[in-house]
Amino acid sequence: MKYFCGIDTGGTFTDCTIIDESGNIIIAKRPSTPDDYSVGLFNALEACAEKIGIDTSSLMQNAEHLFLGTTVGTNALIQMKGAKTGMLTTRGHRDNLFIMKSAGRSVGLPIEKLLHVSRHQKPNPIIPKKLVLEVSERVDWKGDVYLPLNEAEAEQAIHQLVEQGVESIAICLLWSIVNPQHELALKKMVGEIAPGMFVSCSHELISKRGEYERAVGTAINCFIGPTMKQYVERIEQNSAEFGYKKPVLVLQANGGVVPTSEVVSKPLYTISSGPAAGVTGSGYLCNSLGYKNAIIADMGGTSFEAGIICDREPLSASETIINQYVFSMPRLDVESIGSGGGSILWVEDFSGTLKVGPQSAGADPGPACYGKGLLPTITDANLALGILNPDNFLGGKMILDKSKSIEALQSLAEKMDMEVEALAAGAVQIAETKMAELIRQMTLQRGLDPREFVIIAYGGAGPTHACQYARELGIRRIVIPMGTISSTWSAFGTLCADVLHVYEKSDLLSQPFDLEHINGMFSELEVEGLRQLEEDGFEKGDIEFQRYFEIKYKMQIHQLAVPVPNGRLDESDLEQVLVRHEEIYESFYGRGSAYRDAGVEIGLFKINAIGKMAKPKVPSYADVSQKPLSGHRDIYWRELGGKEKTPIYSGQKLSVDYAVKGPAVIEYPETTVVLHPGSSGSTDGAGNFIIELEGL
Amino acid sequence: MNNEADIKWDGKTYPYIPSDPLKVDPSIRFHDAVEEELDPITFEVIRYAMWNLNVEQGNTLVRISGSPIAAFGHDFNPCLMDEQGDFVFFGPFLQYLSSVASSAIKWTLENRSENPGIRDGDIFLTNDPWIGAIHQADVCLFAPLFWEGELFCWFANSLHQWDLGGTTPGAFNPMSKDVFWEAGCIPPLKIVEQGVMRKDLEDEYIRRSRMPDLVALDLRAQTTACNVARERMQELIGKYGPVKIKSVMKKLQDNSEVAFLEKLATIPDGQWCEESWIELSREGDRNAYRNVVRLTKKDNRLIFDNEGTAPQVGGINCTAIGWKGAVASMICAQMLFDQMFVIEGAYRHMDFNPTPGTLTNAMYPAGVISAPPTVTIQTIGLAGLAISRMLYTSSDPALREEVQSCMGALNYPIDAISGIDQHGSPYASFLADPVGGALGALSWRDGVNTGGWPWDLQSTMPNVEDNEIFYPLIYLWRKEIPNSGGVGKYRGGNSAEIAYVLNDTESLEHHTCSGHTIIPGNGLYGGDPTSRTRFMMVKGANVRENFATNAVMPGDLSDLGGEHINIAPKASEVLQESGDVWSLAWTAASGYGDPLERAPEMVIQDIEESYITSDWARARCGVCIDDEGELDINKTTTLREQMRQQRLSDATGLQGARVSVPETADEVPVSEGLVVCTSPEGSCYVCRKCRTRIQAAEENFKTGCLKKETPVEEVGLSPIDPELFIDDKIVYKEYICPGCGLILQGDFGKSENEDIWDIRLFLDQ
Repeated sequence: MKYFCGIDTGGTFTDCTIIDESGNIIIAKRPSTPDDYSVGLFNALEACAEKIGIDTSSLMQNAEHLFLGTTVGTNALIQMKGAKTGMLTTRGHRDNLFIMKSAGRSVGLPIEKLLHVSRHQKPNPIIPKKLVLEVSERVDWKGDVYLPLNEAEAEQAIHQLVEQGVESIAICLLWSIVNPQHELALKKMVGEIAPGMFVSCSHELISKRGEYERAVGTAINCFIGPTMKQYVERIEQNSAEFGYKKPVLVLQANGGVVPTSEVVSKPLYTISSGPAAGVTGSGYLCNSLGYKNAIIADMGGTSFEAGIICDREPLSASETIINQYVFSMPRLDVESIGSGGGSILWVEDFSGTLKVGPQSAGADPGPACYGKGLLPTITDANLALGILNPDNFLGGKMILDKSKSIEALQSLAEKMDMEVEALAAGAVQIAETKMAELIRQMTLQRGLDPREFVIIAYGGAGPTHACQYARELGIRRIVIPMGTISSTWSAFGTLCADVLHVYEKSDLLSQPFDLEHINGMFSELEVEGLRQLEEDGFEKGDIEFQRYFEIKYKMQIHQLAVPVPNGRLDESDLEQVLVRHEEIYESFYGRGSAYRDAGVEIGLFKINAIGKMAKPKVPSYADVSQKPLSGHRDIYWRELGGKEKTPIYSGQKLSVDYAVKGPAVIEYPETTVVLHPGSSGSTDGAGNFIIELEGL
Repeated sequence: MNNEADIKWDGKTYPYIPSDPLKVDPSIRFHDAVEEELDPITFEVIRYAMWNLNVEQGNTLVRISGSPIAAFGHDFNPCLMDEQGDFVFFGPFLQYLSSVASSAIKWTLENRSENPGIRDGDIFLTNDPWIGAIHQADVCLFAPLFWEGELFCWFANSLHQWDLGGTTPGAFNPMSKDVFWEAGCIPPLKIVEQGVMRKDLEDEYIRRSRMPDLVALDLRAQTTACNVARERMQELIGKYGPVKIKSVMKKLQDNSEVAFLEKLATIPDGQWCEESWIELSREGDRNAYRNVVRLTKKDNRLIFDNEGTAPQVGGINCTAIGWKGAVASMICAQMLFDQMFVIEGAYRHMDFNPTPGTLTNAMYPAGVISAPPTVTIQTIGLAGLAISRMLYTSSDPALREEVQSCMGALNYPIDAISGIDQHGSPYASFLADPVGGALGALSWRDGVNTGGWPWDLQSTMPNVEDNEIFYPLIYLWRKEIPNSGGVGKYRGGNSAEIAYVLNDTESLEHHTCSGHTIIPGNGLYGGDPTSRTRFMMVKGANVRENFATNAVMPGDLSDLGGEHINIAPKASEVLQESGDVWSLAWTAASGYGDPLERAPEMVIQDIEESYITSDWARARCGVCIDDEGELDINKTTTLREQMRQQRLSDATGLQGARVSVPETADEVPVSEGLVVCTSPEGSCYVCRKCRTRIQAAEENFKTGCLKKETPVEEVGLSPIDPELFIDDKIVYKEYICPGCGLILQGDFGKSENEDIWDIRLFLDQ
């Protein structure tokens, strides 16, 4: 028997999902082990092996693939527990990392914090100022050397960093993206002076113009590099000892996987990769179900995250904001708001307005019903409404105290002069509106109509609220993926990824475009991609390239990605690309907004080099013929204006096509699906629970 | 000046002030129906959706415009207004534009409702600073939305344009004598008629520009942004009905009014004042001009005036509309942060009474194109200080946390550049680096180095690589300037400096427009003043040639040979040629409280982080370090004591017996160093550090202080000889507690001017 193993190492839990070649799914959840995350990983694998009835060695010897999603790097950054890092940069530009384009004082803050200027502050530096040293050199925008590198000065700077005890060195020089020669020379010198030192050049990580975003990316890469290196090397070594013969593949934020050899030098690409796994899994699910367009919605304890699949392709973003630091890196676009089960409800005193979040009670003290904290949260509201079953939280591992929820809500209800249930229903509505607004912005601002999408909702709390935010958006169908595994969906998602290497090259071209140059650029990038994928072990038949330009109007800042045909381009291909640019531009910005007279410029060449992986078989749902109805509960429905005795179903006992009509609640071990009045749902052949909304 | 009776507030000679009620053609029916009882859940849901639709308007604008001015300078803001043009939401971008749209809409209702009429689908355009603009480059577009025949609400956005004509390229004119030297004023005209752009008016509009294609692109950005907001609002009305939506609009305004009044109730009645100086009204001028913001709080009203401000002159004047926006932007930042900046409720309790014919209430045809980077922004800084002084007296500790020293951007040093770029195209623009201003020190912590502006929440500097690809430049450095932030008990944020040479071009022309090259801005409660703006041309620096011999890149002006020339804050056609270096440093923020009160440990941290140098630490803060860089606390204590004694002996004023006043429970803190104590003998100012009686509370406390005057050229970082640019003799006046030597306040001014009466409680009430 062959096994596809997907693992997701989070800050709290390590999830493992295994699909065997017959399509059976085995899942396990084990606590993460921050002292050495690889321990938790093998614990989770062992737990799955036990469920199968074999030992870890047999599992690993028969593993077709081992896929790994990880937040180890992200956590190191957020907790500022990384390597002592030094940086070499162009003389005169040391403060780049500290000026933070000035925006560092507020970028990425939620609106409530953004509006409060006296609280604006820049985050702690990733690299202390005294460890950023300058070297004399200068390259200009064309890549011409304006001033050559002063090697004696550089050597001295490297020695100085080594003496200060740095564990890694980041190299970020201006315009290295068009001429990397000085960065490479510095890297070579570091290798000679301090062999074994972790060292990264900015141009190897990020190819886009913008020295600030490049410096941040390089600094982060070096800050988390040594930790990540140790982590993946341990996994590689231990899995080899268990008899695993193939490369361990690690998920990146762009939704693709790469071998550990690449993660060791570019751990940056794993930052924010957690949400990407869910999108990748959803993409696979969409293909198998035949959906072209989907909104991917994940909701847990602290946040609500949304991604988009449009025309079978997940949409990408080019910037990542973390801890008020911004770096550029192609990634799947997953936007997030602080609306989770733990979001705190409160009343603004003088206006008597009910507010939800952005403060969260998190996991500790957690919602009032956990028995530790006193502040009411969305989870408390759901419990008070009767939606959540206090005995079925986290698969029954934790019993919730409903009376604590009601107590916490009571004081707010008194302030607002409302019934507890009405208040709880109102708070849930506010939270759901915020979720709908996030999706609305992500779709409408790109010229997409949300009504042409299905929602794929997962995460502990995602399926609980999906009906209402879907209704807000005019969406008719919701898919709760494979009911039982929706809470470990990210681990499943890693199994669906292909190997993906992204190559970008900045180059500013104005009209009339030089075709020779353009063809040369793409072929250069593709040669590099082909070499890498062949090294990864792919045959030509499993290799695919996707090409893009980023295009803008002259004197504009923002560039739009436009697909470019493969093969040798001629004038008519280029004209087609420009027409496509206008179409995309107008779909984003409205009809009549394109204005070619302003002049068109190409700012970036990009290719995705894809190595197609064998995919696990879509799991089949073991149909059951048990009684799915597990009882009734009084639940408050705001659209009915009061409580109603509502049927409760056990999701695992629903047979295929058994129709459930709302209002109803379907309980799975880790999540609760809510069917509001006017909706209905049933389980399909793969175990997905599909909700249809009526009356739209 | 005309007699009061002759004044017409119609937006022609005098600025427009709306009639109350508005005089609107009877064909316009307003939608003003609201629900008495709006349920709080619906309120919150709609509020959130309306905020987002307005932000979406702004995002659309910045994405389509895509100009560096919008993307980095954030020189735009979208707003949502009710049927009468009163504010509902104003976006989180450039706040001083907030006065503009309301004024433009009300004027249009009063002057255009009959002819050419106001209909659904129309979009109006204006750039007239006496009606609805800060200056002519900020073009405001605004669109009504009708619902079932009734005028329901308005959307508006203002955006700074590259160039709209006039005698110099770009949007500023250092030579302007009056408005006829500048880009023309356009009173509101209907550019889009019931959904269709008027081609004739579009051609008329873009014809005036040196960069018509980019202006056309921006016009599309602005109209599309209005349309996006309109569509979203139509959806909302369709879903919730017009009455609910209108109820939320009105409740937002009412809520902000209630919150504002609650804050005012914690503040005693009184008057607070701040002033500063701007050098040169135009190229060739040699004077400095006084700008004053005075704030009176009386019962539940705030009254702002400009008593003492210089008469209008040259091209730096601000109209009353811009002045109101400048003041309001700090009211938002300091008092309405918890109300999502809904200014309308606060406006109901604010009066603006600037004297016509002055720098900050200019009458047509005064030159106004250069107001934003000079007088308007300076006014924001002054308003922030006056509001801070008022908030310090609040009984609410949370409000006292909003007290801040002067932020760095007391001016925006315009470095307008023009020429032929490296791609062979002509260009005219200004560099956006100075948006990385510096946030002022707060009453509880240091300011933020290169932290931008308090009145634009997301200001973003371009990357050096962005500027080098747009313009034919190579930056030698962009760095924070140590010691630039005013030191104090809390330190103001440091600012930065850039220097560049030319690349792929033979020459480049600079126009400058700013202030504070000679006279810094004041600190708060004895904190050190701001640093200065500095434009410097180094002729014949020959960086490349020198590098060939020593292989070391220059990192500072002191590394450069050649002729160093200070460039005036209003200069035109300054030629930079290959081999020359151009450098620009902008003002940092001032400090809060006496620098000798700064915790020595914080000073050591400052030195470690290169925020200040050890020499500066010793000179300004009296902090001494040993050979290992560790704090020498004994030497520090001794030096600080010596410095205080020195202050007492150097200063002039009343010497002699001092009265000590014991602490009482009901004394009112009025500044970092002063309380007002009341006893049967009357009320008086008392030093909080040594309890020395300073002065009777009815008097200006400064008249009871020891005083020290220092010529401006001997104060602060990088002073230059004032005679280079101005003839006025400016001094720095420090007001010192006669008991302990604590500095209570430092102000710039002329020796002969009266002391600024910056704190005045109305105790008899």
